[in-house]
Amino acid sequence: MNIRQQIRKLQVLLDGSRRERKTHQDEMKTLLHKMKLKERRLLEEARTELDEDKLARLRTEIDMLHAQRLKGIKALKELNE
Amino acid sequence: MSRKILPPVILLILTYGLWISPDFNTICAGVAIFLFGMLSLEEGFNAFTGGTLERLLKRVTSNRWNSLGFGLISTALMQTSSLVSVIAISFLSAGLITLAAGIGIIFGANLGTTTGAWLIAGFGLKVDIARYAMPMLVFGIVLIFQPGKKFKGAGYILFGLGLLFLGIHYMKEGFDVFKDSIELARFSVSGYRGVLLFLFLGIIATVIMQSSHATLVLILTALAAQQISYENALALAIGANVGTTITAILSSLSANEAGKRLAGAHLIFNMVTASLSVALIYRLVELVDYAALQLGIAANDYTLKLAIFHSIFNLLGIVIMLPFINYLVTGLERLIPEKTLKVDQPKYLSTESAEFPETAIEAVKNETRRVFDAAIDIILIGIGSVKTGDGTGFHLDDSFTGQPLGEGFSIDEMYAKRIKTIYSAIVAFISDTEFSRRDEQSANLQWLREANMQIVEAIKDTKHLQKNLQRYLVSSNTFIRKAYNQLREQIASTIQDIHEAQREKDGVMDMLSLDALKHFIDESRDTMTKETTQLIALRKISPQMGSSLLNDIAYTHDISLNLALSAQTLIGVAERELLQAARTVSLDNNERASAPAQTLSTRIGERYTNSGAKTGEHP
Repeated sequence: MNIRQQIRKLQVLLDGSRRERKTHQDEMKTLLHKMKLKERRLLEEARTELDEDKLARLRTEIDMLHAQRLKGIKALKELNE
Repeated sequence: MSRKILPPVILLILTYGLWISPDFNTICAGVAIFLFGMLSLEEGFNAFTGGTLERLLKRVTSNRWNSLGFGLISTALMQTSSLVSVIAISFLSAGLITLAAGIGIIFGANLGTTTGAWLIAGFGLKVDIARYAMPMLVFGIVLIFQPGKKFKGAGYILFGLGLLFLGIHYMKEGFDVFKDSIELARFSVSGYRGVLLFLFLGIIATVIMQSSHATLVLILTALAAQQISYENALALAIGANVGTTITAILSSLSANEAGKRLAGAHLIFNMVTASLSVALIYRLVELVDYAALQLGIAANDYTLKLAIFHSIFNLLGIVIMLPFINYLVTGLERLIPEKTLKVDQPKYLSTESAEFPETAIEAVKNETRRVFDAAIDIILIGIGSVKTGDGTGFHLDDSFTGQPLGEGFSIDEMYAKRIKTIYSAIVAFISDTEFSRRDEQSANLQWLREANMQIVEAIKDTKHLQKNLQRYLVSSNTFIRKAYNQLREQIASTIQDIHEAQREKDGVMDMLSLDALKHFIDESRDTMTKETTQLIALRKISPQMGSSLLNDIAYTHDISLNLALSAQTLIGVAERELLQAARTVSLDNNERASAPAQTLSTRIGERYTNSGAKTGEHP
């Protein structure tokens, strides 16, 4: 790790608002990962679901989850800027 | 009565003592400075109780050994068993820890407090600690004047330690000079008569000073100056241990039943330990002599031997009482039962639970949970549902006519009995909580306040809906009957979905999954509104029926949505991890409405509903 990276880490550690933003970024990344896994799981369920009503419900759940993920990705980009 | 008489009597005795003896002045000033140091130390540690200590306490109290360890280590580090006891009572009152865990912490704190005697006997009385006190006081004050909570906290701790050292120094000096004028050792009483007399004096001194630590320092300094005999000092130390329970008892007076039980456990533990120590005092003295020999402590180093005795008799109490914790819990639960009142009262909101941000949030969350559960019961009764045999589920009663099921089952009465008092207490508690303006805690408390308002709104809407349920569920028009039954089904299905989400235990993902439920609720409202306008157009129902139905569709929508929103808050606040991120990605009304169109619905629709092809990859 070069000096510049070390300084950046130290800056994050010392600056309260940066530290908070870093925590928020990390939390968002973890949540997005969880959401991605759940979306995959729901898609798998949808692939094997034969009941039309249940499938429609699953579709809405997937849609909502996907929209939430997109919102999260956008928020993460803003945090990274 | 005694509370009114005791302070002036003590003041009179003190004034007389201070008048006749300048050395007594020094000792009393030492005690006063020491006590003020303890206050300052507590103030300092309080500044650090905004999260770390609470999180640690929540994690480590999973079993009795962990609780014991937490009590021991935290008291040894902070040198105040009172603060640890108060934290334990607060956590228990807020429902964060079990009574058994609370008892474990108290046991540990009792052992942890003995480290104080070791420090004073081994260090405080052997070196000139006043020299260390001065820089501590100076740096402490400098830090206290700094902006920032943590700096202030560290300043108070340093300043408090400085005062403790200075207090010990003055007490030591006072006793050293005092022995030249009055030989207190002349009043020592030997045998069991002396043990009981000095035990009583130890209790009184600790009750007055409300700090066993201060009493112990006084005993140690007097012993070091040979103003009291070793045997009497041991009895005084036992008395100090009994007297210290007064802090926990006083703090539990305003606590709920759980807090009172813990204070009771503290009293029982210290009484049992004291009784055993008095009964076995001469055997324990032999044990102390043996331990001192093994540790290389001189036979005439009575202050260190007193520290050994203090540790041994507290350890003895723990060894004897620990196996009986479960019996103690059962006994105390019987002795101090939960009050059964006609009107539901708050169980977790108390001055103790308002002490720390974490306990305050937990207490409000637990009360909100009760309000939520009561609201679900009321709404289910309001829409005519019947609980299943095992009590865990419910189904809609087909013969329901919308009438209250019996006396006391009107929504107003049930609201007054089960919710109103708790709801009012929650609102008052949040308004009164000092730290309610701090960022994270404040946000959580505001969400919980909103959740309560949403729950109450849902009950009010149910009351409005019930009027027309009574009217139209017995109508001869099958269309309107069917429509009102659909409204009941909509609410029941929402509650079912909420229960399922709460059962999942998948943290904030459950909270986010309720966004889909909110979407279903919106969709259901739109579909039912369309169907109603068709029924009016086809003259299947009268326009009056139609307008009532449209209003009630809106009420049903609001009931379902408010329940979903409050459930989201309850799940989110319970699972504090990732909460901020989850709230960021949660969808609002417009986002929910546009979500399917902009994302997957069309593609998935083609893939799964029309062709049935199940090979496509999700983008």
